[in-house]
Amino acid sequence: MASVRKSRGESLVVRYLILGAWAVVCLAPILWFLSIGFRPRTEIITPRPIFWPTWSLDAWRALWADWPVASFLRNSVVAVAGSVVIDLALAIPAAYSLSRYQYRGREDIGFYILSTRMMAPAIVAIPIFFLFKGMGLLDTVWALMLIYAAMNLSFVTWIIRSYMLDIPKELEDAARTDGAGDITILREIIVPACLPGIITAAVIAAIFATNEFLFTLLIASTSNAYTMSVGLANFTGGSDGIIYNAIALVSFLAFAPIFVLVVLIQKHLSRGLTMGAVKG
Amino acid sequence: MASITLDNVEKAYGSFVGVRDMNLSIADEEFLVLLGPSGCGKTTTMRMIAGLEQPTKGEIVIGGEAVSGVDARDRDVAMVFQGYALYPNMSVYENIRFPLRMRGVPKEKQDALIRRAAEMVELGALLDRKPGALSGGQRQRAALARAVVREPQVFLMDEPLSNLDAKLRASMRVQIKHLQRQLRITTVYVTHDQIEAMTLADRIVIMDKGAIQQVGTPDEIYSNPANTFVAGFIGSPPMNLIPGEAADGRFRAPGIDAPAPAALRGKVTLGIRPEDCHLAEGGELSGNVYGVEPTGEATYLTVAAGAHKVEVKAARDFRAALDTPVVIGFDRARIYYFDTATGERIRMQG
Repeated sequence: MASVRKSRGESLVVRYLILGAWAVVCLAPILWFLSIGFRPRTEIITPRPIFWPTWSLDAWRALWADWPVASFLRNSVVAVAGSVVIDLALAIPAAYSLSRYQYRGREDIGFYILSTRMMAPAIVAIPIFFLFKGMGLLDTVWALMLIYAAMNLSFVTWIIRSYMLDIPKELEDAARTDGAGDITILREIIVPACLPGIITAAVIAAIFATNEFLFTLLIASTSNAYTMSVGLANFTGGSDGIIYNAIALVSFLAFAPIFVLVVLIQKHLSRGLTMGAVKG
Repeated sequence: MASITLDNVEKAYGSFVGVRDMNLSIADEEFLVLLGPSGCGKTTTMRMIAGLEQPTKGEIVIGGEAVSGVDARDRDVAMVFQGYALYPNMSVYENIRFPLRMRGVPKEKQDALIRRAAEMVELGALLDRKPGALSGGQRQRAALARAVVREPQVFLMDEPLSNLDAKLRASMRVQIKHLQRQLRITTVYVTHDQIEAMTLADRIVIMDKGAIQQVGTPDEIYSNPANTFVAGFIGSPPMNLIPGEAADGRFRAPGIDAPAPAALRGKVTLGIRPEDCHLAEGGELSGNVYGVEPTGEATYLTVAAGAHKVEVKAARDFRAALDTPVVIGFDRARIYYFDTATGERIRMQG
């Protein structure tokens, strides 16, 4: 018995060592970035490593004073959040229809929706530019919102659809005999039951939209519509050269909201809410 | 409270006919059980009454009103499902409240109704729990409470006990019957378990391959089966069915020689229940012991006679070695004859 317990304890230690090492590998670049951001410029590019750097908030202050970082951040948040709201508003009813109603061509429509993801974005870059020019939306966050929404809509629909397929049909039958109509069933039964799927899809869509570069570069031409991803590119070149510590801080600011979001809702990211609905 | 009539109802899926030519009258306050093997059309029949499926032909009348084209939510029926179908995001209280909300019951009346329904199924203490935190029996009781809370015209129950263990099933069975008698609501209950059917039903409808085989009280179904399907389906162990020849007032099959009506001729099947067989000198059947199964209250003896195996209910202390020759007598008043070709019961005097 004792030896079994001991070997279990040992294997636990080994497991934690491996996981710890992996955590360091994952987190080290982020911590390194932070340390670059809070060092003076002179200490960033040196031939020899500096183990005890002097900390400085110069880059942080300069960032907010000299650059429109606040508007980059605001544009990112507005465009990304707006696009996710549009995606969910369209994808939830679409996924419900694709997963529940029987009609001719249902599978084809589902595949068509997915196929919009299959071409390289660059192919539609020029037409999209003229489209938004025609609508007078160039250099606005509204255009970015629409583009991000369109870009992510197909896979958001598919993720939610796959969760909806897992919801037992009996739940809907029960709601129907209890007196609920289609909209009520969707709102009160289906959406809560596939909430983990909806949250997962929303988080992935938010990450993709936050990192989008090509179309943002195409549409945005001033800080009016620059987001964090394109704004970041402004910190290279120019009379100051490449401002590494500012880049590090802006990168961290771009990454932080998504990180916080994921930490806050990670318990919903796993499945399991439908447990207990039907025989367990 | 309502009667239900099914008039020539048929449900086809393309060329496959799930339910054919169904004619059935269910009286007000009756407890009717649809019994049959998987795929016999019993659940489809219930779903058509619920309005979850539309018949391809025929008419369903609930409480004097033809309901074709009436959506499930506008029929005043409540259904209990095999898998409970509790809403996972809502507490037990909210689950029971859902049908009241959907039907616009005034808020101030809801609480009393919910607590009364929960008390009926002894679930009062668990109203705050989510379905995930309930045991199987508790979940089924929550589903029952959700069905009874608005006192519908009709209860529909689709194998509600089949996910429960045997002991719980027996106690829930009594509870369901008690609830139905107490509330006096017309109930249609689907099951493939003949014990459930026999114990619960005022009348049983036996179905096979989408068609009604027999309708009757449990006693009628048991002692007066209409065909070999019903005879073989009801009873545990089921009726012995032995194909043979009838001629000159005798029925003969390998190892069996039994009296038969004088007019009976040709290929017929003899039916005799295990409890109507007994060990007796000069009996109708001679064969060898094939198996002995003591159950406590009786011993079931399987006798091999020719190619057939005949089940006999013997005394609880009966024991015999394999291959012992035995002679079995039949209770002559309880011998049934069926047409071997059609399976239909042959009824004649003499």
